Amino acid sequence: MTANAIPEGSGEAPVVQVRSLTVQAKAKKAPKKILDNVGMDFAPRSLTAVIGASGCGKTTFVRTLNRMVELTPGLTVSGQVLYLGQDIYSRSINPVLVRRRIGMVFQRPTVFPMSVFENAAFGLRLLHESDNEIDSAVQEALTRSGLWDEVKDDLDRSAFSLSGGQQQRLCIARALAVRPKVLLMDEPTSALDPMATQRVEATMRRLKEEIVLILVTHNVGQAARVSDRVAFLHQGRLVETGPTAEILERPREELTQQFVTGRFT
Amino acid sequence: MATVLDSVTYPHGLDPSDDLRRGNTARLRWRTGFDRWIGYLLPLLFLVALVPIADLVWYIGKTALPTLTFTVISSQNSFQSYNALGVPLISTFYILGLATVIAVAFGLFGGIATAEFLSESAAGWVRMSANLLAGMPSVIVGYFGYFAFVLYFGWGYAIIAGAFTLGFFMTPYIFRTADLAFSSIPRPIREAAYGSGARPVQYILRVGAPIAFPQILTGVFLAMAIGLGETAPIILTVATNVAVPTNLSQGATYLTYLIWTGFQFGPHSVELTLAFEAAFLIVVVVIALNIVVRVIAARFRRRLEGLYQ
Repeated sequence: MTANAIPEGSGEAPVVQVRSLTVQAKAKKAPKKILDNVGMDFAPRSLTAVIGASGCGKTTFVRTLNRMVELTPGLTVSGQVLYLGQDIYSRSINPVLVRRRIGMVFQRPTVFPMSVFENAAFGLRLLHESDNEIDSAVQEALTRSGLWDEVKDDLDRSAFSLSGGQQQRLCIARALAVRPKVLLMDEPTSALDPMATQRVEATMRRLKEEIVLILVTHNVGQAARVSDRVAFLHQGRLVETGPTAEILERPREELTQQFVTGRFT
Repeated sequence: MATVLDSVTYPHGLDPSDDLRRGNTARLRWRTGFDRWIGYLLPLLFLVALVPIADLVWYIGKTALPTLTFTVISSQNSFQSYNALGVPLISTFYILGLATVIAVAFGLFGGIATAEFLSESAAGWVRMSANLLAGMPSVIVGYFGYFAFVLYFGWGYAIIAGAFTLGFFMTPYIFRTADLAFSSIPRPIREAAYGSGARPVQYILRVGAPIAFPQILTGVFLAMAIGLGETAPIILTVATNVAVPTNLSQGATYLTYLIWTGFQFGPHSVELTLAFEAAFLIVVVVIALNIVVRVIAARFRRRLEGLYQ
């Protein structure tokens, strides 16, 4: 089964297009395919949930979308990932620049040992922005991530003093501060309690009105709550993709049916 | 009053309150007790190891302190006829300082490069070489310095030759801590930095360095403590000088040189007095370095508490 790349209803050109993407891991005998000929599009202002069982390749999939996959030795990527029509794996493209346009949030909060402000300003400092620009961008990013009201009184305190959920929203703010067009989120709530999860999900719903969000989750309920589209991966293959309601309620494939109803073996 | 528990039946027909008691057999009791006694014994063994160290420090202190005055430390008279330590102290400061700069330059860059840039197999070879160098007897490193710097480069017996030799000897210790410090930064932190669009150098300076700094500083101070106690690389490359050297191509006297030569003289000689005084100073500085390391490490550990584990 190959890609079923249905453009979203808006009629706008997709921001990210994935074309016959295959990732192989070096193995003793034959190379093992972690992703097998995956293809799909991501429309502007949308939230796509990538769901699937552990080990189905969903984390590897989002890591290919900003070339983070290259930090893992032993993986080879083939196929294309087009960002605004430009292949991010082409020789002339600098991966550093790709990651500044396509941000990423990880499973557990990864705050750096510095103040709340400096964490949010991290990406901007890398770009040597002016202090004025950094001040306003940090406030904007913290507001967009829904953390501003909780930290505005003491931006200089250590980021470690925040709760887990606040730390995760700080990581989202750090990614947003450089104004990326795409934000990848790899199970961003898997280490958070239900209350913190709710707030991060609220942040996601707000953000999808502005940028492209790609969310990896193994939680079908979360996909139902926040996403517009769902892509179901199974053993490195894209089984099917479509509008959330359709995939979760009337999936075409038997495998998807089993996964979303919790009868997966 | 009937409780929920009354309606529950247990397997094997055991009374639930009896189940835990029956499991506590004589064998389990004996093993638990044995474990506890081992727990008491191990700290005791540590104290046994502490005794010779304490005795050593006490004996050196007892012998050296009566003659060690401020005048002795500051006097720049020739140590060959006077009880004067000024010349070797200043010379040691020069040599060790320069050697540390050289070792930090090589060790820090090598360690960071190995942790961050080299492939798995290349890093393995570099680490093996560093371990080999660290395990090399210092006298062999001294001979290397003698042939390379003193003879081949023609520097003669000089501070610069000794500093490079001692620096090479200290390098693997700093290399190892720099490599380990950067390798042990949690992978998600590293990926978060790269995921924010950091170039490798930006990652190293802005995220890696603050996290790795205390560990690296520990390595530098311990390497200094090791370098301070070395004798062979110095004797073979700097030899001696009864005065404070005025430039890097002159010879100089290291503190350990006094210990090395002092014991060839009689029990009441000025040389033996100097040897004990030098030994005492080295012990004090080594202990001080270790305490400083602990204080710094503790302070930074508190700052890094909460880092992604």
